[in-house]
Amino acid sequence: MEEHPEVLKIEQKFPSWRDMLKPVTEKDFKPGFYHYPILEKDAQALGIPYRDWDPLDKDWKLPPDWKETFLNKFKELLDKYRSLKVFMDICVRCGACADKCHYYVGTGDPKNMPVARAETLRSIYRRYFTKIGQIFGEWAGARELTEDVIKELYYYFYQCSLCRRCSAFCPYGIDTAEIVWRGRELLNSIGVSHRFSFISIAASARTGNHLGLLPGGVAGALQSVAEDVYDITGIEIEVPVNKKGAEILFVSPSADFFATPHWYVCMGYLMLFHELGLDYTWSTYASEGGNFGTFQSYELAQKLNHKIYEEAERLGVKWILGGECGHMWRDKHQFMATMNPPPKTLEDPVNPITGTYFENAAETKMVHIAEFVADLIKHKKIKLDPSRNDHWKVTFHDSCNTARGMGLFEEPRYVIKNVCNYFYEMPEHTIREKTYCCGSGGGLLTEEVMELRMRGGMPRAMALKHVHKRFGVNFLCTICAIDKAAFPHLLEFWKLPVEVGGMMELVGNALIMKDEDQERTTDLRGNPLPGRGEE
Amino acid sequence: MIVPLLEIAVPYVAFAIFLIGVIYRAINWAKSPVPLKIPTTCGQQYTLPFIRRTIYDRFDSPYTKWETIGRMFFEVFFFRSLFRNTRYYYTRHEHRDTRFLWFFAILFHWSFLLVLISHLRFFLEPVPGWLEFYMEVSGLKGAFVPEIYIPGITAFVGLLCLFGRRLFLGKERTISLPSDYLALILLISVIATGLLMRYIIKVPIEPVKELAIGLVTFHPVATDVHPLFLLHLLLACTALAYFPFSKLMHAAGVLFSPTRNMPNDNRARTHVNPWNPPYKGITWQEYYEMYKDQLDEIAEEGYKVRPEV
Ligand code: SF4
Ligand code: SF4
Repeated sequence: MEEHPEVLKIEQKFPSWRDMLKPVTEKDFKPGFYHYPILEKDAQALGIPYRDWDPLDKDWKLPPDWKETFLNKFKELLDKYRSLKVFMDICVRCGACADKCHYYVGTGDPKNMPVARAETLRSIYRRYFTKIGQIFGEWAGARELTEDVIKELYYYFYQCSLCRRCSAFCPYGIDTAEIVWRGRELLNSIGVSHRFSFISIAASARTGNHLGLLPGGVAGALQSVAEDVYDITGIEIEVPVNKKGAEILFVSPSADFFATPHWYVCMGYLMLFHELGLDYTWSTYASEGGNFGTFQSYELAQKLNHKIYEEAERLGVKWILGGECGHMWRDKHQFMATMNPPPKTLEDPVNPITGTYFENAAETKMVHIAEFVADLIKHKKIKLDPSRNDHWKVTFHDSCNTARGMGLFEEPRYVIKNVCNYFYEMPEHTIREKTYCCGSGGGLLTEEVMELRMRGGMPRAMALKHVHKRFGVNFLCTICAIDKAAFPHLLEFWKLPVEVGGMMELVGNALIMKDEDQERTTDLRGNPLPGRGEE
Repeated sequence: MIVPLLEIAVPYVAFAIFLIGVIYRAINWAKSPVPLKIPTTCGQQYTLPFIRRTIYDRFDSPYTKWETIGRMFFEVFFFRSLFRNTRYYYTRHEHRDTRFLWFFAILFHWSFLLVLISHLRFFLEPVPGWLEFYMEVSGLKGAFVPEIYIPGITAFVGLLCLFGRRLFLGKERTISLPSDYLALILLISVIATGLLMRYIIKVPIEPVKELAIGLVTFHPVATDVHPLFLLHLLLACTALAYFPFSKLMHAAGVLFSPTRNMPNDNRARTHVNPWNPPYKGITWQEYYEMYKDQLDEIAEEGYKVRPEV
């Protein structure tokens, strides 16, 4: 991160509307803000037109008929999505969304205002799809589709994390994330795609998970997690994988059995399921809950979430339980069942331990782990010792997707408040439906846009700083895999001595297990527990 | 010759453009399907019985049809989302509630609605009792002499404030297009001429009323109206005809917004996409063929992995 400044200077600029119509091109691209282009093998695997290009080149070597392809695709998307058509038409440019975007707050770049981001595409819509735009041109806010405009779209559509924060404030619910999603789809049609998402999409399409782990790798990773559980608790846990006839299929983001601090969350899953004696299974084919396809297009999203239902049917499970992840739950809650109709073999999602019927998941048959655990706690089916988390002063970060794409606010809070004694909320306007993105969602979790990510995460970091100073918060709890990967960098950058972890880690810490002979002396991370064992 | 044209043809044409335009646009929107159920959830979802949902949650994250209708109602009549507005202050990295945009918007829209209602008195003969009463109430009868019709004033003030925002605030100026000013200027001039007629240059009412009633009963008669009224009429007609082509369509568009008009019952009731494409991708069988050895190994272990300790 050498090239990133110590202190980020945020300069707000207010150009005129005419200047806003002028595209930002490769000459103005700043390092740390633009993405690398798609790799050849991923493009080929996913059927995206490929050629060798670099965003900093003057010539992007667009395919000869790019303009036609782009406009035809645009027409097609307008006919397919009422959302896009309506959102292109009804924005009044009131500016309510303007300073709601964390990228705007962090960069001060006027084109990062959600309305301006949408206008980059809307100006083309006006020019080619409305009479007024065709007649009055620039005066109606319309502009020609040129290669430079494509560059601008690429630059700004990948400075949006699809967090939908702007949508919560817009009087018409205009969802810039929806526009950007379509916009990326348009760019993909002419091969202007970024690298990061597509590496994961291609890997997931082939192996079943974003990391590209083969079946043996998945099993091996789960084995290592079980070994770590043994080290802390002394319990040998057998982990079911690809088991036919299990009652529940468990799906989590693949980072949970690969990265840290996700790892501790995965320990928490294994411990809880073991303690309950749950009849469940992991799957190597459906080894990914996350869905980077949702950052790109309908077809790619469908490609990746299809596996879960197919596997549920093959294994003959009754219902599906999902782990901690943000965009995974936007996908599971809002997209999956529409894209791939649920198989008839699934049954009602009923918690086998408490008998609770999850009515809100009646058709999709997919329950969130926070709902599941909250239900267990409510019925007192697990024994908890919250004092084992006494070394943590916890705050909860609502992940954009579970917040604004699902409405999951209280369940994780209910769980957290039951497994730890010190819980503090961040300032009111930065949580729940107004939560700020970590700055790295929506396909932006990549090294080359580090400065953008650090800037975009600034409002969240400032909110955290507030509770860190005021209450001494030292643990940021989140239920999203991308958060867990992004926050450690962000907090280091903003110099906040706060650890990042998941809800299930705290549950695992507090869980009193039947088979455990000895008092635990450390938490899942190996930190000594306060007042127990050697300090 | 020119006067009947302006008085009769223009209003009819403008109204026809308005009506056909709005219907055309609405049908055009409705023609595109809604492939995904994508409500923006701004409150706690419907969930386990012990998780409390407040009244706000029920409208901001509706689960039933009625809750969704409630959400739309508050959106349309009280600009619920705009009420949520905040501002980010860099100096202290703090958010504050900022309701002035909401206030200006509410002030204008409600006043304008009331003004439109009060215009009914030109079209109805005799003026019904409720309308007389309504005029007295909104004129705060007795408070001012001569009588002042409050909504007319507040609509004007609201518009000026909305205009001022675009002129004086940096962000708002940057995102304002000429068409945004045009819409405001049109409305301001319509209201300004209206106010002028009422308070300063008193325009005789009789011919106006005669014209209005003629128009709505489809027996139009050109009458000898004051030129200022003619101007008012023409401006209003321009605004009306401009409506379907402009951002003023937001009034109808909000009803079509899928992030607002759909319930958050995604997992309970599956949404069907009319053009859902068939799945293209790797099946279990293909996956199995690719990684046969490793998968068989897992099977040999009895579909279990054990920690090596
Ligand atoms: S809040 Fe909505 S209507 Fe207002 S400028 Fe933003 S997108 Fe447009
Ligand atoms: S979706 Fe999020 S990142 Fe994208 S424009 Fe809106 S607020 Fe900004």
